[in-house]
Amino acid sequence: MDLKIVIAGLGGEGIIFMTRVLVEGLYRCGQPVISTETHGMAMRGGSVISQIKVGDYRSPLIRYREADLLVVTAVEEAQRTLPYLKEGGIIFKNTPQRGAHCIDASGIALRIGNPRGGNLVLLGYVLAHLAPAISLEPFLEVTEELTPERFLTGNLKALQEGWQKASQANKGEDKGEGDQAARDN
Amino acid sequence: MKQRGLSGKVLMGNEAMAWGIVEGGATVAASYPGTPASEIMETVFRIKREHNLNIYTEWSVNEKVAFEVALTNSYLGRRAAVMMKQMGLNVALDSLMSSAYTGVKGGFVLIAADDPGPYSSQTEQDSRYLATFAKIPVFDPSCPQEAKEMVKRAFELSEEYEIPVMVRPTSWVCHSRQGVGLNKIGERDEIPSFKKDPQRWAATPRFRYRLHRELNKKIREISSRNHPDPVSNPGGAELAVVASGVPYAYAYDVIKATGLEERVALYKVDLPYPLGPEVDELIQIYPQTLILEETYPVIELQIGCRENARGRIDLTIPSEGELTPDIVAHVFDTLLGEGVSETRTPPEEGRKPSLCPGCPHRAAFWALRKALPQGIYPSDIGCYTLGLNLRAVDTCLCMGASVNQAAGLYHSFKQGGRSIPPIVATIGDSTFFHAGIPGLINAVHQGACFVLLILDNGTVAMTGGQPTPAENSPGKRIEIEEVVKGCGVDFIRTVDPYDIPLLIQLLKEANRYARDEEKGVAVIIARHPCLIYGARDEDRREGEIVVGEECDLCGLCTERFECPALRTGPQEGPMIIKTLCTNCGFCVFVCPQEAIKRT
Ligand code: SF4
Ligand code: SF4
Repeated sequence: MDLKIVIAGLGGEGIIFMTRVLVEGLYRCGQPVISTETHGMAMRGGSVISQIKVGDYRSPLIRYREADLLVVTAVEEAQRTLPYLKEGGIIFKNTPQRGAHCIDASGIALRIGNPRGGNLVLLGYVLAHLAPAISLEPFLEVTEELTPERFLTGNLKALQEGWQKASQANKGEDKGEGDQAARDN
Repeated sequence: MKQRGLSGKVLMGNEAMAWGIVEGGATVAASYPGTPASEIMETVFRIKREHNLNIYTEWSVNEKVAFEVALTNSYLGRRAAVMMKQMGLNVALDSLMSSAYTGVKGGFVLIAADDPGPYSSQTEQDSRYLATFAKIPVFDPSCPQEAKEMVKRAFELSEEYEIPVMVRPTSWVCHSRQGVGLNKIGERDEIPSFKKDPQRWAATPRFRYRLHRELNKKIREISSRNHPDPVSNPGGAELAVVASGVPYAYAYDVIKATGLEERVALYKVDLPYPLGPEVDELIQIYPQTLILEETYPVIELQIGCRENARGRIDLTIPSEGELTPDIVAHVFDTLLGEGVSETRTPPEEGRKPSLCPGCPHRAAFWALRKALPQGIYPSDIGCYTLGLNLRAVDTCLCMGASVNQAAGLYHSFKQGGRSIPPIVATIGDSTFFHAGIPGLINAVHQGACFVLLILDNGTVAMTGGQPTPAENSPGKRIEIEEVVKGCGVDFIRTVDPYDIPLLIQLLKEANRYARDEEKGVAVIIARHPCLIYGARDEDRREGEIVVGEECDLCGLCTERFECPALRTGPQEGPMIIKTLCTNCGFCVFVCPQEAIKRT
């Protein structure tokens, strides 16, 4: 797999947790992966991004217009971080609005009784687009290891809901763009 | 040496370095938290817990203390590590300079993590400069795996030459994640023994000269063994790149992505100081050589003849700001005469950070602005620097400066014969312990008059909630009130900043004491646990906060009070984001129309 992913959102939303699940899951799928994330001052509600590169890379930083996937957890960050996305790349958004690769992750999270699980719903949704190069199991496994007991059921459910949502969407509508994302080599 | 087996896993650079410390067999590790270094020590604590490791660990009160505690273990012939952010090294610089002369016994590794950009610091200084200043070798890792290996190599080098050795990662190493191979934990069993040698450990100036000569000899020897690694060396390359640290990784990726493998030779430097003679020779071979390093020109300055060298000194690379893959790609194009490739527009500035919803500091700053709106507010380093957004922070120099700047303000206004404005310094609990105490003693002793508001949330919140000597630590509890009293302060009040009216009243009282009556320093301790790292059940308040009809859209709560849980809604009115709101009720107090209510 050769893939560059940017996750954009606001500090305090658990983007680091989401990045960890993604990176450790990919590693367990046997993919060479390197990533980086924002820490420190910006985490207090400021704009934060994580960058993840899968393939033969030495540095975790992604150049502008090189990301295959842009994953936006707070929709107000979408426009601003667009310069990262390459031509033909896909942007996944957490938003109640309808559109290609949009998912109301926060709404779903609220509905399943895990109000802070929106990011995992979104992650599950993105991961489904990388199948069949990957399966959900390793990511569930990592989530299980990283989640404190009392949030465990909610977090696993969130990841699964997102994954299923994408599979349903793929069955209904034509599935084309998603495959581009997982250029297997 | 006993050994235990382990396998590989995904680690953050800081976690990887912690593994380097335990695999390297350190028996003492000490640190003071600071981004981007904090997770190194946190991980050492975790490994110690999970593997029942015999190692002495401490969160010290500041970096100088941490340095000296760790260094002493090395005097006793055992391995030790000390970790800090780059600005922390300024605090420990005195110890570093002198320890380079005395040298060490057991391997002694100093990890100083830099923050090019800067993202979470007052400067983007390059700690490698301080390594050259102190004359100690410095490793410059490019990724987590390498950072771990370099910590171990640093122990070896340190022991071989009896010299402190620095490892200098940057943010994108500290906070990168990567699969890292784990080796055996090296539990060492050297018995601590102090061999008295006053001419070394307690050298007077006369012997210091001799120690300096020995230090120079060590550095010369290490330099002669320091060879750059020829990563790729195609015949007839038009450009050679000599790189260290993360910029090496950028160069590697950009060369590959743009198909320059045949045209560019790549050399990697692990130890930027003391540089060996080979880099000078390299520069003579190629038509031009580009030096890539973060953040100051350390390798570059050690080059004898810079005629064919490109880098920061000749401004090929910008002199400030972090190096990025985009800059590297751009410079390659320019130097190879490729015409300048399309410039890629970076994203606009994002949302600025702000204090968490319900953060006790927000209440304290609001009270401060209400009580003494004409004041000057020197402040300090921590989450509360974000009091800037509430216009309650006027200065932020470095750890502990708030107290001294408040004293400075008083003396200057007084000397200048001007009426003295209310002066209120704010400092966090951990910063107070770190560097505020000497300043307070000095201020009291010299007769300065001002209000000192200690924002005590019981933790080092900015860096992830580490303990302080007063809170969350298994050690003996040091009461801030007792310390303040011991510094000679007579006016001491403690208050919960959630009680905004009471805090306002106390601030006015303190200002009367300090400014109007000129009786000295008045200290108020505003104590309430950090909502992220010290949340208590009793802080969950009943009822729900709602915005009523009375709201006249003045924007005070969203713009000036700027609670992140209060955003401007579609009709321009304030809207409470339920998932973020902590129910603290500050906004009820803030709204002049009494439109915000608790139901
Ligand atoms: S982490 Fe704690 S101290 Fe820092 S802004 Fe949030 S609540 Fe305030
Ligand atoms: S009660 Fe008001 S000030 Fe407190 S968190 Fe909620 S919106 Fe913010």
